[in-house]
Amino acid sequence: MLSGVEKIKAPYFCGASPISVNKTGEWRLLTPTRRESLSPCSSDCLLEGEIPLWLEAVKRESWPEAWQIMSRNNPFPALTGHVCYQSCTANCNRGRLDEEVDIREVEKAIGYWRLDNYEPGGKAVTSKGKVAVAGSGPAGLSCAYYLAVNGYAVTVFEKSAVIGGMAALGIPEYRLPRTVLQRELAILEDMGIDFVTACEVGKDVEVARLYSEYDHLFLATGAWLSRRAGIKGEEAEGVWYALDFLSLVNRGGDPESGGTVVVIGGGNAAIDSARTALRQPGVDHVSLVYRRSRAEMPAEPSEVEAAEDEGVELIFNALPREIITKNGAAVGIGFDYCRTGLEGLIVDRNRSFEKSCSTVIMALGQDPDYSIFGQLKETRPLYAGGDLVSGPATVPEAIRAGRLAAFSLLADLEGTPLPDFGARPLKKVSFEDLNLAAKVNLQLQQKQTLPFEEAARCLGCGSCNSCGVCYLFCPDLAVDRSNGSYEFNLDYCKGCGICAEECPARALVMEGGV
Amino acid sequence: MLVDDLNREREMIISGHNACPGCGAALAVRYLTRALGPNLAIVLTASCWSIIAGAPPLTALKCPILHCPFPSAGSVGSGLKRGLEAKGKGDTTVVVLAGDGGTFDIGLQALSGAAQRNEDIIFVCYDNEAYMNTGMQTSSATPFGARTNTAPYPLFKEGRKKDIMQIMAAHGIPYAATATVAFPDDMEAKLKKAQSITGFRFIHVLSPCPPGWGSESADTVHLSRLAVQTGFFPLYEIHNGVDWKMTWMTDKSRLPLSAYLDRQRRFKQMDKEKIVALQEELDDEWYFLMNKVGPADRC
Repeated sequence: MLSGVEKIKAPYFCGASPISVNKTGEWRLLTPTRRESLSPCSSDCLLEGEIPLWLEAVKRESWPEAWQIMSRNNPFPALTGHVCYQSCTANCNRGRLDEEVDIREVEKAIGYWRLDNYEPGGKAVTSKGKVAVAGSGPAGLSCAYYLAVNGYAVTVFEKSAVIGGMAALGIPEYRLPRTVLQRELAILEDMGIDFVTACEVGKDVEVARLYSEYDHLFLATGAWLSRRAGIKGEEAEGVWYALDFLSLVNRGGDPESGGTVVVIGGGNAAIDSARTALRQPGVDHVSLVYRRSRAEMPAEPSEVEAAEDEGVELIFNALPREIITKNGAAVGIGFDYCRTGLEGLIVDRNRSFEKSCSTVIMALGQDPDYSIFGQLKETRPLYAGGDLVSGPATVPEAIRAGRLAAFSLLADLEGTPLPDFGARPLKKVSFEDLNLAAKVNLQLQQKQTLPFEEAARCLGCGSCNSCGVCYLFCPDLAVDRSNGSYEFNLDYCKGCGICAEECPARALVMEGGV
Repeated sequence: MLVDDLNREREMIISGHNACPGCGAALAVRYLTRALGPNLAIVLTASCWSIIAGAPPLTALKCPILHCPFPSAGSVGSGLKRGLEAKGKGDTTVVVLAGDGGTFDIGLQALSGAAQRNEDIIFVCYDNEAYMNTGMQTSSATPFGARTNTAPYPLFKEGRKKDIMQIMAAHGIPYAATATVAFPDDMEAKLKKAQSITGFRFIHVLSPCPPGWGSESADTVHLSRLAVQTGFFPLYEIHNGVDWKMTWMTDKSRLPLSAYLDRQRRFKQMDKEKIVALQEELDDEWYFLMNKVGPADRC
């Protein structure tokens, strides 16, 4: 049936026939076509997520569609919805009007929808081949996910007894509830991914054996070697390295820290350690000491603010000289004044001070353990990713590395050309490009609690967000609305171009020809 | 907001109508019928819409249409309403749809008569500022400086555009308002208000005409918006001929008129003095309007 033919209802009928037999689409010289351009959020997203598209699906409350779009780039939105540092909102065009869209909350909502609505028993087809993944952190899990959904049997080897890598042991409970990770892992297990715990690749199982037993191997063993300070007293009792401290707490252990805690370092691990220490029983006071200024801190500014709000004392421009010990236990730290000069740090030993404490947490950074590469005697290409390659980074970056590795591996195993990962348009849609004159989608001026309302605040920036302006301004009623999204009825579209001109998101262009 | 209510069931125009691509009049009548329908009868005087609505037995509107001669829109509308009342169908809204020719020039005496008798009809003038259907001849609604087919280059329309709103206000009719297609919410609100009032109601709708104005068909809504933003076509309503009220004001100062003129070929070869003259004329009219509208009603 032609969609434009409508019945004229009595009593307004008057014996006439609808003019819809007149196919005015034949007059058309230009055709409105959707053309998606890059939005600032997608451009800034570490996962290259198609953020406006899934926001639009959430706005229509079409959760399966939102998950489908999301999972193209990010299979663990519940995880990233908790821990991502949201680079996406930094340049959000909505922020120029009132308040940025809270993208992470919507992402989290999609993640929980997925966790609640996953149908168990749907084991992926695992006949195409076998791949081993070393390391069960976000990079390994993401790679395993994409290989499993593409029909490969995946075995993940994990050196510790806990699956999840840095997400399980490094990230504190207050940032990522353990149940979220456990539910994600339950889904992966249900998809047919095998997990082998307490088995370190290169030690408990030979790399050569993995290469012979499996079709391919992905290395994502992370960065777990804590950097040493090389100062006196570092071996004393009560001195922790951040990762040891965090993983002990995350496993449910008690670090027996009490009294005053001093954290040394200015990265995200330092902030996580300080905020975790603050939550330990018996801890009265937590100080964080960083050798440079606040502006130079590598930690996420929002996390620093959160730590400060919770009562962590921040001390800058102080370099630890020695850890003062008494009977083999740390009782204080000696600091020197220190600042960044043109040729490195300038230390002033005349301006030193001491700080007494019972626990010291050294968060000076981590390094990957490259020794695994020494065992490789293969000539085949090697796939590695995550912190092992990039050095300590974030969960989204690791997930992206796992995804790229999975698709590179797939291309390798199936003999297809490598997908073009870098093909993204350079120009992103700026605030000035948008056409907000029709004043659509501008009503909700503050953050909303309901995910679909928050998603409705998205301006679309370069992709259709079903605002309806094309429908509103079409003189020919040639825009059909079905299931909340819009399509052009080319039987009647005369190609005037009002829709493309008025589209607030600039997601339409007029293309030549019918 | 109109865009929140995208119920296709409410639409009363039918795809396949004969309007040119980007027709402002088609858009205006779409909003009009949507706001007033479905119990609606339309009296259609000779105008673009006589063609757009289709030749019988085809129709582009889901309501009865009564075609009538050019000068008679007001009288035919009056007769239709009285006839419906006599038959006990007084709840049907009668809308007279006329172009600027059928309102400003040829239809003015019948319009004036119907307004003076305070007939219970809504008279909607969709103003595309010339006789577009017959080949773009100058009408008294054509603005100063515009070129038409009866005033080709180097000629241009001389004299002011007739101020139809003042004429209607002078009749003391219950309700008169201006509206345009870039502001569908404003237009719908005015039409709904008009429907709730008994007596003669007049709506003046600016509807851009891409072939007649020499504008891009895609620019229809944009031009209509610019007309309001420059003050060329202010949006206001008049109750009982005396109570003037703005319904839309720019938060900042008005845009310069050239923003509006530059997008239309009918103003293309207008020299600087004429643009200045038109801007001055506009400023005078704006000053006059602001005097009519009390400070509290400048919205």
